[in-house]
Amino acid sequence: MEEPQTKRFKGPVCDVDSWVAYPVLSDEQSQDVELIEAFAAPIVNKKETSRLVRELNSRYPLNGLQHIKRVRACKGKSSSHPLELLLCLVSEAPHMKEVSMESLLPSNEVKHDGLGEPFLVKVPARPPLTRPQFELASKHWPTSFHEDKQVTVALRGDLFSSPQKERMQVYMTSALTAAKQGKGLGMEAVGAVVVDPVMERIIAVGHDCRGDHPLHHAVMVCIDLVARSQGGGSYSFDKYPACQYTPPTSISTPASDTSQNTPDVETGSQPYICTGYDLYVTREPCVMCAMALVHSRIGRVFYGSAFTDGALGTKYKIHSQKDLNHRFEVYKGVLGKQCEDLNGLDKSLEGK
Amino acid sequence: MGTEESFCPSDEDAERWMCSAFHMAKDALDNGEVPVGCLMVYNDEVIGKGRNEVNETKNATRHAEMVALDQVLDWCRHSNLDVRTVCERTALYVTVEPCIMCAAALRLLNIPVVVYGCSNERFGGCGSVLDVSSAKLPHTGTTFKCVSGHRAEEAVEMLKTFYKQENPNAPKPKTRKDRALTEPN
Repeated sequence: MEEPQTKRFKGPVCDVDSWVAYPVLSDEQSQDVELIEAFAAPIVNKKETSRLVRELNSRYPLNGLQHIKRVRACKGKSSSHPLELLLCLVSEAPHMKEVSMESLLPSNEVKHDGLGEPFLVKVPARPPLTRPQFELASKHWPTSFHEDKQVTVALRGDLFSSPQKERMQVYMTSALTAAKQGKGLGMEAVGAVVVDPVMERIIAVGHDCRGDHPLHHAVMVCIDLVARSQGGGSYSFDKYPACQYTPPTSISTPASDTSQNTPDVETGSQPYICTGYDLYVTREPCVMCAMALVHSRIGRVFYGSAFTDGALGTKYKIHSQKDLNHRFEVYKGVLGKQCEDLNGLDKSLEGK
Repeated sequence: MGTEESFCPSDEDAERWMCSAFHMAKDALDNGEVPVGCLMVYNDEVIGKGRNEVNETKNATRHAEMVALDQVLDWCRHSNLDVRTVCERTALYVTVEPCIMCAAALRLLNIPVVVYGCSNERFGGCGSVLDVSSAKLPHTGTTFKCVSGHRAEEAVEMLKTFYKQENPNAPKPKTRKDRALTEPN
């Protein structure tokens, strides 16, 4: 098989600063901070703090809210007291006509020494997972935060260096070229490329072929081309010059149909479907394609533009779906403008 | 529209075709394959059937339903019939709930009804993990109706038996990724 020519696609390289690859995070990571009501009180005598915390922890242990700090420092110098103490959630508090310290904390259980009058506060219901969530949560009540530095950097759009972005751009340009070639054959303008990021080589390039088969979306075509590169595959895309695959370099042994008889020893060194590979696709995959990527154990997915029924961010986040046995990172916006323009190509033709 | 709504197999038909699907699953089990049987019926004729072909094709998307859908497309081509017209009157009978990918594929081909045995807690696309079958996805074909629970216990038992005996085709199923090759749907 002829190796896809990556060099040819370098052409007029567009500025890597013209686009940003943002991570598509799970719902838990991207949702707003949910708040719940609680009672707090000023600590007027600092010396009582550790005793109060100890006694409160046994009276109101804040189960399931381990991220909440029991004590907060009062912001602003104007405050008459330096610290405030979280007593309990409103939902845990005993029923009372009027909020009073005696009904919240019977003094035979917790001595009130050093405490001021209770008041209502709102505290974050869930531990913050990202820096933006942490910053929002902290405005209400301090929480602990186990920062995932990569997510923080990714959310700033700084995860990939310029040389990395240049390479990503080469791959996406190759997908764009395939999309246009597919379009020229009457297919939808969607292209995809599967890359081995360690070897820095393209394994498969494909475009939408649904004119031939309604399920041959670009991603499905690429998955089968990857299978073919490993001696499998169910279809032939030979009649489409822009749909190509390259056998991985690691296989120097006679390739192809001996695979069934390959001794077990060797299977370890061979690639397993799409494990460890990256996919570049001009448009966000649909539900079928997204789940096909889960089944194929794709490493990471990069897409250009969003899709109304997309399943990696828009309608679903299948890459971070609970209960599924494989999760992967997704980034969107790689050559976003150029990928967006492909959709325009489709729409302008539909209008005619 | 009205015709699509009203298209639904009778209990008798469902019983009969599910019986065939179970025979296929049983046959697969006896031959060391993932015990899922699936057939697609149009006008009282089986126009597609399939079993999991993931191992032999190294393509993880080759689930029984995808194989059967390919046969339906071939059948339409050979019979010189319009795919959409046929698919809109074709029912799928399968022993296990289709996965998320297959459910989306069934939508894309406008299959109106799916009769299945047991649910698929790991990958199910008809309500178990996601409900793709009835979701609002205007660019992903048409929704389909599900009739579930046909001999569900039997279907589960077959899967259990299969996973107990281990797939002889799977290369050393020690790791998670190896096991994936033998997942049902």
